[in-house]
Amino acid sequence: MISAPACLCLVAWAAGLALAVTPSQALAGDLAFVTNQTGDDLSVVDVDSGKLRTTLAIGGKPAGVATTPADPRVYVTSPDSKTLTVIDSTTLAITRRITLTGGPLGVAVHPTGAPVYVADWYGTRLLEINPDTGHISRIFQTGRSPSGVAVTPDGRRILTADRDSDQVSILDAASGRRLSVVATGRAPFGVTIDRAGARAYTANVKSDTVTVIDIAAGRAIATVKVGTRPYVVALANGRGFVTNQYDDSVSVFDLSGLSEIARIDVGEYPEGIMATSDGRRVLVSCWFSNSLTVIDSDSLKVVGEIPVGDGPRAFGTFLRPTPPHLRP
Amino acid sequence: MNFIAALTILATAPLFAATSAMAHGPTRQKVTVTTKVAAPPAEVWAAIGNFQDMSWLPLVYSTTGEGGNAVDATRVLTLGSADGPTIHEILYKYQPEKMSYSYRIEEVDVKVLPVTNYSSHLTVKPLDNGGSLIEWRGAFYRGYPLNDPPEELNDEAAIKAVTGVYQAGMDALVARFGAAG
Repeated sequence: MISAPACLCLVAWAAGLALAVTPSQALAGDLAFVTNQTGDDLSVVDVDSGKLRTTLAIGGKPAGVATTPADPRVYVTSPDSKTLTVIDSTTLAITRRITLTGGPLGVAVHPTGAPVYVADWYGTRLLEINPDTGHISRIFQTGRSPSGVAVTPDGRRILTADRDSDQVSILDAASGRRLSVVATGRAPFGVTIDRAGARAYTANVKSDTVTVIDIAAGRAIATVKVGTRPYVVALANGRGFVTNQYDDSVSVFDLSGLSEIARIDVGEYPEGIMATSDGRRVLVSCWFSNSLTVIDSDSLKVVGEIPVGDGPRAFGTFLRPTPPHLRP
Repeated sequence: MNFIAALTILATAPLFAATSAMAHGPTRQKVTVTTKVAAPPAEVWAAIGNFQDMSWLPLVYSTTGEGGNAVDATRVLTLGSADGPTIHEILYKYQPEKMSYSYRIEEVDVKVLPVTNYSSHLTVKPLDNGGSLIEWRGAFYRGYPLNDPPEELNDEAAIKAVTGVYQAGMDALVARFGAAG
């Protein structure tokens, strides 16, 4: 039996972990859309409070997710059912299910809100989809097993991490032409572009490295050694944050020095990772632990743990600002 | 159990070895099997905490390896008989203070164990009554890396096979150390 004061202390500590915020230091007010692949659903979580807003049944083993602040829609891929599910973040309801072929996994949305790009995990192609009609408008050539997809902030370039070709394809969004192919470490999975649209970072699953790419030059400029089985890179506060799936950790590297400066213990099998819109927090989806680990991007400390559904992957841009009318 | 079926199939079947360089299915699977035994954790860990000795798992004929219990140590499990099928594994985390180790399969025929990209954790934890909780967990993809897998290599087949192996191990440990009261 623990004493009452100790009890209260624990409760306060736990509440602090979950909330990690006071009104005087309001945070970004983001919503997280977490694909729970084992659970076949989507957890929608209020990041600041750590509270679950709703759970949406998706089906087809959802994995990829994409959204952009300019448009209220959220896109979720289901490789087993070969579908792209469209969610309206203002109503938190499913508005459309688009049937595709192949293995829809990686997904990105153009910064203007359309089109949507879906990579075919089993193929060598990227599908361009008009989310208003649900039709495939064009098909672009990539390397083998394209996984991560990202679009530059100006909307002019699309990058795919071609896992089984050990490369990134840089595509011209207007013409659909592949402009260049950049060799990376082995088996690049996630690809992340910085806010300036200057550099891209791939997490290379089989070589335990991150490749840094100069997008305009179309070439790799550095390799950063990280932990075991890196999955995705997030960028915040002048740092890169990399999920190490087999190390239950996040490697932090300095974006100018390009070497690892810290390693943070998180939940088990960390996968999707992304910074909040204000850059102050980094959220890590932990596949075996069924939780989001919240990291302070400045102190590099874990400041919270948010429970989600079973087998969260959150592969893609799973955070977006909360629509004003949904704010607490 | 799949190991047994595998032993008969293997003699004639062409090998479809899923190498670790290949891509995998789109959905990683997870299996956790736990059991409680009467013996104290130190005794159980002494029996199962050596990466170079899997003799506690039924159907393992022999364990040969290099590197002891250091990270990157390897072992080869031979199943059933001296000329039985093999599983090549590598240790990537060893925490004796937590009575836990983690390893990956480097190479296995999917006809023996229908999985790819398999990683696993074996842990012994204390129970309040002095006994032990043994936990065996795995994370893996199905045996068939391409779209629309055949039944024997789909997600369900992978889960069933791994669960079967873990359960066989746990049953053997309960028989050896006694069920927890």
